Amino acid sequence: MMEPLLKVENLKKYFPVRGLLRTIGYVKAVDDVSFTINRGETFGLVGESGCGKTTTGRTILRLVEPTSGKIIFNGKDVTKIRGEEMKEFRRRAQIMFQDPYSSLNPRQTVFEVIMEPVRFHGIPVDDPEEFVIKLLESVGLNEMHLYRYPHEFSGGQRQRIALARLLALKPEFIVLDEPTSALDVSVQANILNMLKDLQKKYGFTYLFISHDLGVVKYMSHRMGVMYLGKLVEVGPAEKIFENPLHPYTQMLLSAIPVPDPDLARELKAKRMNVEGEPPSPINPPQGCHFHPRCPFAKAGLCDKKEPPLIEVEKDHYVACWLYAKS
Amino acid sequence: MTQEEYKKGILDRLSDKLVDVIASFISLFKKDWKKKNRSKMEEWKLMLYALNRSPPGLIGLILIGMFIFLGIFGPSIAPWSYRYFPVFENMSTYLAPPGTEAYLPFSEKTITYPLGADHYGRDLVSLILYGARTSFVISIIVILLGVPLGIILGLIAGYYGGKIDELIMRITDMFLAFPALILAIAFSAVLPERLQGFINNHEFFESLFLKIFALQPQEAGNLGKLLAVILAMVIVWWPAYARITRGSTLTEREKLYVEAAKAIGLSSRTIMFKHILPNIIGPILVYITLDFGGVILMEAGLSFLSLGATPPIADWGRIVYDGSQYFPEKWWLVTFSGFMILLVALGWNLLGDTLRDILDPKMRRSIEFKVKKQKQMEQMEKEGEENV
Repeated sequence: MMEPLLKVENLKKYFPVRGLLRTIGYVKAVDDVSFTINRGETFGLVGESGCGKTTTGRTILRLVEPTSGKIIFNGKDVTKIRGEEMKEFRRRAQIMFQDPYSSLNPRQTVFEVIMEPVRFHGIPVDDPEEFVIKLLESVGLNEMHLYRYPHEFSGGQRQRIALARLLALKPEFIVLDEPTSALDVSVQANILNMLKDLQKKYGFTYLFISHDLGVVKYMSHRMGVMYLGKLVEVGPAEKIFENPLHPYTQMLLSAIPVPDPDLARELKAKRMNVEGEPPSPINPPQGCHFHPRCPFAKAGLCDKKEPPLIEVEKDHYVACWLYAKS
Repeated sequence: MTQEEYKKGILDRLSDKLVDVIASFISLFKKDWKKKNRSKMEEWKLMLYALNRSPPGLIGLILIGMFIFLGIFGPSIAPWSYRYFPVFENMSTYLAPPGTEAYLPFSEKTITYPLGADHYGRDLVSLILYGARTSFVISIIVILLGVPLGIILGLIAGYYGGKIDELIMRITDMFLAFPALILAIAFSAVLPERLQGFINNHEFFESLFLKIFALQPQEAGNLGKLLAVILAMVIVWWPAYARITRGSTLTEREKLYVEAAKAIGLSSRTIMFKHILPNIIGPILVYITLDFGGVILMEAGLSFLSLGATPPIADWGRIVYDGSQYFPEKWWLVTFSGFMILLVALGWNLLGDTLRDILDPKMRRSIEFKVKKQKQMEQMEKEGEENV
């Protein structure tokens, strides 16, 4: 039986849109999202840009204060903790950012970058230099890099430094916010494998945010598909890739480029084209948010009522009226 | 590009030495500092190379070096005290032109005037030397108080945003709405009495200020006006810094390293001062350098308007004012002290402009490239010699 490490319940994050004098509306970046991540697994979160996946990750870590909802980490609601408990949560839950070029302070050497969180959290270290060198070696860097500044490194190396900074804290849960999308493919593979190895070694739990479906398939045990601030499909990654239920997921999957031209031509006939743009999150459509782009939308139902998450097969949930048992 | 361009000049070697010496010195107190800060030392050297390649910057540096030297040692090397009035002993010293010599019957000394005398018969050289101290101290105090105040308020406004930002920036706007000089005049006209009262009641401050301005005890009653000018300038100086700091903080706080620092759990204070400030200090530093000149100019201006330094306190602006009454027949007072103001303001401006270039990463990169090329050239030369 898998033990849940993180439970997100009805999480909402609305950003106010300010007019001249008053708030004229809200961007519903995260709108009533619930999911669970078990200890030691990777939960993938995919979706188009602007669908709220990054905001979800940041809200979970309380880098952005949630509007409402519960975030239960290790049995405690982190939306209510303060002081020492918050500090402890900061140590246990960390984030790795998309852009390695701005995630390191240009004025700190690698040694300072890595030692700062360690000192702040009072983690006992006998020989700081040796400690940092060991960490650097575990991410594929070495002693030579100890006292250099970030501008002396490539993007991949910087991402490794950011990773070493996380490892120094020995966290349990790491939000990986598109950690490889700024890197080229060979470096991507490298970092992804390293993340997988580290997970095996230390039992990390990952929330893997990405728009790259191939990468998510490779990394995740379970995954969620987000559309316009809502989770439309949740389930084991394999099942979702084999049998996508939600029309949006089907569209996303059919948009993955196929390297074989013959196969691609064959598939083209069956392919569902992604049409239109996602609507504005300030003023989302009524009912199912996806209905204006959905080929199966039923008038009178999909544009009126919001679909709940329905368990279609074991652990595989979908928010779509097509699967409702009427 | 020829090979010549890559050669290290004598100045570059001196800079190398200087950085090495400083590093060794710090290493005496902090173990392994040299090893840990190799990259930092490299940066410093590059900055100095960039400075060496900019003649205006060097001129500015020399001018400022001289000014600082005069500011510190001027009163000690001045041949005559500013409170010694030869005109009471010998009427011919009244506005004596440059090059005159005069005998002072009471003190039985001969006084020479290389740059002429003022209406008290005081030697202009001595007055300029004393005046250097006055300008130096005033500019340092104004920058030391005004700039940190502006930076702290700007950081707070930019980092927290929202209502705090509004409050701080609207106050800043209020100060910026008035022309700086007018505001300074208003404050320096209102403040002296209270400050004088404060000075009279606190002997410690009285002797402290007399000491740093190199004044004699009789001047205690004039300190109030001098301090009023300083305080007035602090009041008009901080808003500009609050503005630029807030602006840079706004862009900097969106960077991911700030978010990473938040994710670690660091306090807002640590993030502001340890992470954001070091990254925005570059442009502020340029501003500070330019403003040293600005403060000296404004102080001279206020003295010219007979606010601030009261006679007989030596002050460049005041000398120009006093001299202007006898100009152009007795041209030396206005000319020489005005020239000093010009040189110092020019020096700070040249240095500030060069600093802006040096701190600009693009400019530095090109020098870095040259240095690397130079190392390659040296390597090739060495190999060439070995082959021969």
